[in-house]
Amino acid sequence: MTYALVSLSVPLFCALLLTLAGPKLDSRHAGQIAIVCSALSLVAAWFALMQMAELNQTILLELGGWESGLAIRLRLNPLSSLLLLFTAFMHVLIGVYAAFSRQGVSRDFWPLSSFLHGSLAALWLSADLFNLYITLELLGLTAVAMVALAGKKAYKPAANYLILSLVASLFYLLGVALIYGRYGSLDVVLLSLQTQSDLLTRIALLIMTAGLMLKAALWPLHLWLPAAHANAPTAVSALLSGLVVKGPLFILFLLWSEVAPVDLAQQIGPVLAIAGMIALVAGGLSAMRSPYIKTLVAYSTVAQLGYAMMALGLLLTWQLPQMHVALWLFVIAHGLAKATLFLAAGEMQATLGTKRISGLRGATQTVPVAMFAFAVAGGSLIGLPPSGGFLAKWVLLQPLLSEPQNWPWAFGVLLGTLVSAAYIFRVVAISFDRARINPPDIRPDRVGHWLALLPALMVWGMALTGDWLIQLLAGSSV
Amino acid sequence: MSALLTWTSALPVLIILSSLIPGLLIFATPEHARTRRTVLNLTGIVVKLILVGLMLRGVSQGLEFRFELNFLPLAPLVLHGDALSLQFITLSSILWLATTIYAIGYLEGSPLRSRFFGYFSLCVSATVGLALAGNLVTFLLFYELLTLSTFPLVVHRGTPAALRAGRVYLAYTLGGGALLLMGIALLHALIATPDFVPGGYLLQHIDNYSLGFQVAFVLMIAGLGVKAALIPLHSWLPQAMVAPAPVSALLHAVAVVKAGAFGIIRVVYDVYGVEASTLLSLTQPLLWLAAATMIYASVRALQQQDIKRRLAFSTVSQVSYITLGVALAGPVAAVGAIVHLVHQGLMKVTLFFCAGNFAETLGIHKVQEMDGLGKRMPWTMAAFSVGALGMIGVPPIAGFISKMYLGMGALEVDQPWVVLVLAGSALLNAAYFLPLLYRGWFGKPPAKGWKEDNFYGQRFETHWMLLIPALFTAVLSILVGVFAGSIFSPLGWSELIVSREFVQ
Repeated sequence: MTYALVSLSVPLFCALLLTLAGPKLDSRHAGQIAIVCSALSLVAAWFALMQMAELNQTILLELGGWESGLAIRLRLNPLSSLLLLFTAFMHVLIGVYAAFSRQGVSRDFWPLSSFLHGSLAALWLSADLFNLYITLELLGLTAVAMVALAGKKAYKPAANYLILSLVASLFYLLGVALIYGRYGSLDVVLLSLQTQSDLLTRIALLIMTAGLMLKAALWPLHLWLPAAHANAPTAVSALLSGLVVKGPLFILFLLWSEVAPVDLAQQIGPVLAIAGMIALVAGGLSAMRSPYIKTLVAYSTVAQLGYAMMALGLLLTWQLPQMHVALWLFVIAHGLAKATLFLAAGEMQATLGTKRISGLRGATQTVPVAMFAFAVAGGSLIGLPPSGGFLAKWVLLQPLLSEPQNWPWAFGVLLGTLVSAAYIFRVVAISFDRARINPPDIRPDRVGHWLALLPALMVWGMALTGDWLIQLLAGSSV
Repeated sequence: MSALLTWTSALPVLIILSSLIPGLLIFATPEHARTRRTVLNLTGIVVKLILVGLMLRGVSQGLEFRFELNFLPLAPLVLHGDALSLQFITLSSILWLATTIYAIGYLEGSPLRSRFFGYFSLCVSATVGLALAGNLVTFLLFYELLTLSTFPLVVHRGTPAALRAGRVYLAYTLGGGALLLMGIALLHALIATPDFVPGGYLLQHIDNYSLGFQVAFVLMIAGLGVKAALIPLHSWLPQAMVAPAPVSALLHAVAVVKAGAFGIIRVVYDVYGVEASTLLSLTQPLLWLAAATMIYASVRALQQQDIKRRLAFSTVSQVSYITLGVALAGPVAAVGAIVHLVHQGLMKVTLFFCAGNFAETLGIHKVQEMDGLGKRMPWTMAAFSVGALGMIGVPPIAGFISKMYLGMGALEVDQPWVVLVLAGSALLNAAYFLPLLYRGWFGKPPAKGWKEDNFYGQRFETHWMLLIPALFTAVLSILVGVFAGSIFSPLGWSELIVSREFVQ
């Protein structure tokens, strides 16, 4: 637990330090400090994970020393330690990219990204609905500020994002208030023993769900996402798509798999799963039609979250702990792959001087590394073996296929696979066009391109640890 | 991985690495470093051939070559060299040698050769991996990698036509891959994924899951049938003809369609087993499908005026001989199917090399333009004739042997109508190949000269790197027919495989 606390507090202190130092620190030094802090947090998270892998049980910590019910409770299990590690890794990676690639970021990026890191870490460790509200609010505000870093053109999407984010938080808060009024407790573990499926609980849960789905951009509440993610600076887009939308998803998962009574969960399950299937197809079709590179990548986030939603919905419907493995494998594989997609897309945009997909003609010749990274990461989104995306899809498919009455769900997964393949290879095929090559405006930035490739290689490498990952996550089922 | 890495477990990995590592190095080779690229290519091939030779010796002495790595729960990554995988590996390694030399000559002076040869080597690595795969999950992995590594080759020229063909290719193969994944995942959900076993591993569960098994079979055969170009999933193959000639050779003979056919062999023999597939009444529909493909594609081939397109439809027809032999579900037909994997590869690669030579030397693409070719390019035309006659089934060329075994196999399992189909297909083969030979040898060269005439007046009729591979594979197709009785011929080896498969 100590390790996890270190992993949580280092980025928070870092954010505080960078904010206090203000303009006295120039961007380069601020960047170095932030990267070092993320790296420290990464190491701590690694130890926490190793400890968890050994113990394989849940550790609870009451902050402040009060007894449960009053105290703020933190909870560490294999899942949260894995997410801590994942968050820290993404921050180190994106930080290094932001610091060393030619597409620099402004000084304000650093305190914000540290803050984002800290609030996410807090979110993974919280086990209290109000705590979760605070982390969610911090996350949303930081994310909005980061979108706005892109300058004037991003102000409008950022403002929209802000309003939606606030509305969503209010919805969630209202639900929290109702729950507190009904049960007099907000602790997830305590609530899981108390909740009943009465009208008030239903309403509270539904309101909270609506808020969370809006925040996580789950279909049909996803419309804000493409504009916000596509207009943010490259490094920020990668963080937003890779990490931020997973925060509300985690809360949604806690809410329905632990807090909600089983019969309610079984009722909402199919709805979520069907919404997930629609998200897969509708998001994929939008991605297929999009004329812009980054918008395509952003819509693919909407589609891929559909897999996660499907896993969550079926987990609730059948109360199958195995699905929870699929859900989090999707989250991690998608995060890594999406980091590559956004970094590669950003690099290609900068080098070729075009936002349009049609501008990628001949990209295999002009920006080979970035294009290769894009294709490799895309392979994981499609779920080609042996990538992380494949691993997740495989785990998801197993229970769907074992009983003939579940086969229609598997058909949904098949459809999702085909649609993802269509939009990824739409980009890849154009890049092989030799007929009318778009010459680069500037020389490719080698560091940036290779850094973009790194997470893609990791998501393929992830498959080799598949057995271990599945065991680890299966151990932390709730 | 806990077990010590002995040479028998390392060898399958090394065989894959022997083309993978040169491939990755070639990507990093600058375009103008021609010598370095050639050396890398040839080193890889030589090393691979030596390693394959070692494994051949080991397997014929009964050694086990197995490598295992944890991957999915109950489905590890397994590489396993058995007699059947060696049949395929030996074929693709030898043809890789021929095709690489051919490609070096063919692409001389054209741009992006490092990219081309890089993907070419990756493609061979995927093929070899697929042959060595010891269970379905591993097979799937390499099957998809093969799709991904051939796509850049199909669109290599980067023209609008090439891109269109590439998109069609991807749509078909990725769709097929997704179906295959579904089938494999379904089987895994029912009974996990053990290693391939001669005789299959389903029989004991057949009472519990017969519906699941049937659905999985249909899904897997549909997925494999895309690459094996079974109707109605064959249309990508003729379209992919826009790719450079070495790529066509690779698609048709060395890797892609073979991967599909090989997969069908594996699924029927080593997963389902002949007995279970018959009990589930799966073989008969497959047999009809294969027979229909043979006849339909031959008729389509007759209609084509483009030489490469005619050859493409001929491939569709010839590869389904393999499926036909598998679906007959008898030992003699099995020998015919497995040996045809090699024979068709040798003959078809010869034909594609020759077609490429005609196009590169004289700019000939159409059947009508072939008049009098034999006078200008006698060696190439001779090689072409060997390939074509072999396809028709003239003894002693390789094709005869496979057809004979397939026919005998059909009689053995009491399906005499198949013999009629075989005969009909042979007639159609003759009808679409003999006119080409007639024009080539007995037609009059065009009075106003050839469209273009490269390499005229040189030592050979065309670039030596284009000619030698074609002659080499033509000679091989005769040799494997003449020496079919020896144990080291493809036929002898196929009988060894079948004796292990059908042991009761």
